[in-house]
Amino acid sequence: MTTKLSLSIVLLCIISLVQEFGLSRLTLFNVSPDAITIFIAFLAVKFGQKTSTSFGFMGGILTGILSGNMGLIMLARTVEGFIAGYFHVPEDSHATAKQKQRRFFSAVVIAGFCANTVIAAGFNPQGLSPVYRIVVLGLLESLFTVILAVILNWFFLKKSLAD
Amino acid sequence: MRKFFTFFFKYNTYLLFVIYCGIAFLFMRLQNEATLTKLRTNGLEFSSFINEKLMNLTWLFNLSNENDRLMRVNTELLTRLLHVETSAIDERNRTKILNDSTFNASGFIMARVVDRKFSDRDNMLLINAGWKNGIKKDMTVLVPEGLVGRVIAVSEHYAKVMPVINTDFKVSVVSDSSNCMGLLSWSGGKEFIAQVEHIPISSHLKLNERIVTSDFSTFSIRGIPVGKVVRIIPDKLFYTVDVWLAVDFSSLSQVLVAPLKIEPEKVQITSDSTLNEQFF
Repeated sequence: MTTKLSLSIVLLCIISLVQEFGLSRLTLFNVSPDAITIFIAFLAVKFGQKTSTSFGFMGGILTGILSGNMGLIMLARTVEGFIAGYFHVPEDSHATAKQKQRRFFSAVVIAGFCANTVIAAGFNPQGLSPVYRIVVLGLLESLFTVILAVILNWFFLKKSLAD
Repeated sequence: MRKFFTFFFKYNTYLLFVIYCGIAFLFMRLQNEATLTKLRTNGLEFSSFINEKLMNLTWLFNLSNENDRLMRVNTELLTRLLHVETSAIDERNRTKILNDSTFNASGFIMARVVDRKFSDRDNMLLINAGWKNGIKKDMTVLVPEGLVGRVIAVSEHYAKVMPVINTDFKVSVVSDSSNCMGLLSWSGGKEFIAQVEHIPISSHLKLNERIVTSDFSTFSIRGIPVGKVVRIIPDKLFYTVDVWLAVDFSSLSQVLVAPLKIEPEKVQITSDSTLNEQFF
């Protein structure tokens, strides 16, 4: 468990850097996919709400430091981890791989949308209307994120989720 | 105490969430504090550093596109430069002709040489003025320095000019001081030397005399400079005279086309033999 946690922390650091310096450049309609959301959703499904909330908080600290908006991003990521935690699949459950994947994608969409809503409520540098920012851009970002999640699931996460 | 621990273990996830949210709010509230500002500044500095490096890397990958873009800009600028330079040269040549005090260019049609065919036997020029500009066949083409040739074919916007340095070209000329008359032609070879024929050996032609067109010419107005005598070789009856042409055909760009010399009565009287009786 300790090894898994350590590995997860290292992965979180790497994913935060990739998100901040790589994926944030892949913008379409001012929106980019969020790898941290995918990672937190994965942790939530695998390890539960406490872990996902804590990792959300840590991810918030890392990306907050890099983006210069610490408090708000910490809050958004914590909320994200907490919401994603509701999609946890206990180890002793008899859920099939398909069901686990479905919960994982649901966690990505809903937790990502909630995090985006928190950020939109507290930070709006482009002066867009809150409804547009939350509904349109929020849904669009969730869509991009879930597309990335499908791709990552296809190549890497499928096996880990099925275990 | 036991109750508290039971409550804590039962709801620890919620408590954790509340604690994290509390910390986040605390950060939001204290974001202007010196320590947090320093942390944020350092984070931004690091982020900017990485972004700069990534931008440099992206720039390196896009170097080929950047080169293409610069090439396009260069091509556009070169086109503009060529256009401006060509216009400037044209304007300079035009001004040079118009400002020549020894020559009245009014009444002449100005044209530009747009094509030329030069060889050691057969030369031809094409000018960018045609019948729309008032150009007619047999008009004289000249520059202030001297005679260039005659128009032999005209289209709507262009005219073909047979220059002096064409083996089929002939013009009646006269020397300006000794008044010796002859027929100037070009026999090929050097483009700046032409020959004058039919000057009797008894005439007093001298070296360096100026040769101009005579009134006998059927197309050219009289007095247009043609060149100067550079060599006189006596033959049995006539001199063979070499004339250094006044016009430098290698640098010809702007020309003037003189109005057509209209002398129908002269043409008629020289061609109609029945009129001879009326004169006498």
